[in-house]
Amino acid sequence: MGAYAMTTLINEEQRDCYQEITNVAMGQAADRLARLLNVYVILPIPKVNMISASELHMALADTAVNEDVSAVCQGFIGSGIAGEALLVFNDASFSDLAELMKYKGPLDRHGELELLMDVSSVLIGACLQGIGEQLEISFNQGHPVVLGQHCHVDDLVKSGNHQWSQTLAIEIHYEIENMNINCDLLLLFTEDSVAKINQQVDYLLD
Amino acid sequence: MTKSSFEFSEMHWLMDVLQSIDVGLVILDREYKIQLWNGFMENHSGLRPDEVHDKPLFESFRDIPETWFRQKAEPVFELKTRTFTIWEQRPYLFKFKNYRPITGRASTMYQNSSIIPLESIDGSVKHICLIIYDVTDIAVNQEDLTKANENLAYISQTDSLTELFNRGFWEEEFQREHKRCIRSQNPSCLVMFDIDHFKKVNDTYGHQAGDEVIRTLSSIIRQTARETDICGRYGGEEFTILLVDTDAAAAVHFTERLRKKVAALIVNTDQHEIKFTISSGIAQFSPNFKKHTQWIEAADKALYHAKENGRNKTTVYQNK
Repeated sequence: MGAYAMTTLINEEQRDCYQEITNVAMGQAADRLARLLNVYVILPIPKVNMISASELHMALADTAVNEDVSAVCQGFIGSGIAGEALLVFNDASFSDLAELMKYKGPLDRHGELELLMDVSSVLIGACLQGIGEQLEISFNQGHPVVLGQHCHVDDLVKSGNHQWSQTLAIEIHYEIENMNINCDLLLLFTEDSVAKINQQVDYLLD
Repeated sequence: MTKSSFEFSEMHWLMDVLQSIDVGLVILDREYKIQLWNGFMENHSGLRPDEVHDKPLFESFRDIPETWFRQKAEPVFELKTRTFTIWEQRPYLFKFKNYRPITGRASTMYQNSSIIPLESIDGSVKHICLIIYDVTDIAVNQEDLTKANENLAYISQTDSLTELFNRGFWEEEFQREHKRCIRSQNPSCLVMFDIDHFKKVNDTYGHQAGDEVIRTLSSIIRQTARETDICGRYGGEEFTILLVDTDAAAAVHFTERLRKKVAALIVNTDQHEIKFTISSGIAQFSPNFKKHTQWIEAADKALYHAKENGRNKTTVYQNK
């Protein structure tokens, strides 16, 4: 997804800082997962980009090519910074996910929903908390909404009618050692939040 | 007002708000014993705070599955993160009546819940707060919408006279199966058949009787076909059945059974007893069928052959 058009809304220094903040937050999230589940989470370098509405579709399409996915999104807001966290699971991940979460019930649509909710609570919550702590913001989180189960990635986010043109996207691809679990966490910040985050980040950079 | 009396009255307001806010608030300790129970919880459950105080949650409310709830709550104690449950997982945690018992359509209150950590002074989490939201209207509307969409999908896919798939939807399904056959090379068979001399049925007994014949035939098709077979009304008196993972020999067996059932059948209309027969053409998938239309043509040819050879017959397409 390197082909996104560059915009002037964030500079390189700020981008590095975002990446660093996300790294630390992910590290904390991974540590929490490790404590809860006894697994080693492989941490990649998060991608930070300003993207447009159409590019969001491209970014999502990159997460799963030709495969069915299930996804949850959750809104967050705090100190004038607002956005949504989007967690996209490859449907092939569920059997390993069940093993990981020690889920005993049948792995039907309902069972998968339970897993989806449990994992997203921990991953999104931990990541937001980590970012919030560094920026000294305590986010409020809305209720998670299931965007879709077993659907094509294109159907997750309805195109058109967007209230926004640009969003700051932080993309994190999670993998778990020795397990067939693939999931992508996208943290999307609204355009008007970016100035506020930049302020906080500049304060950290000084 | 002195500072301390101001703080006191502020405390009093806050308690008042917690008590009267239209959201359920429950504080639980590490043993899941109830420490706070606000007005919403009291009024909807009918249990006063003193009746539930210090009682384990799972004892007072046996509807809440303990293992399930612990799985949501333990990460809140252990990791200090919030967790959430939504009504799609379980319609409710606490079995409360619908807030609108008269005009509402659901008997119980649908609930979302948040579980948030409450930090002690030393930074550890010894208590959690369970917040209960009433989402009955959202849930009922969502379920209505889902039902309406399912209904619309059914209408757009179904032929109204026969309740089999209509031609458009059947063809979509057929194309998908064609692609699957190309990939897997499994033997699937396409059966096309039509009613012999159907025009004569219409001309002799009228269109109402003709419709009745088609309706009867389609119910025989539904009874004879397996769950996985894809049955459609292809044209006026022409039908298609896609027999998934079935070779030509098994398809002949199936089609002959159907043919004999139909031949033995008597359709009773107001004035007449109508007997009719069907002719069928079978084409097993062949890798030569690069396009799905070629497969249909093959079955059509076999059907033509069955007609030519005296009707009330089944013919298998010979791939030469």
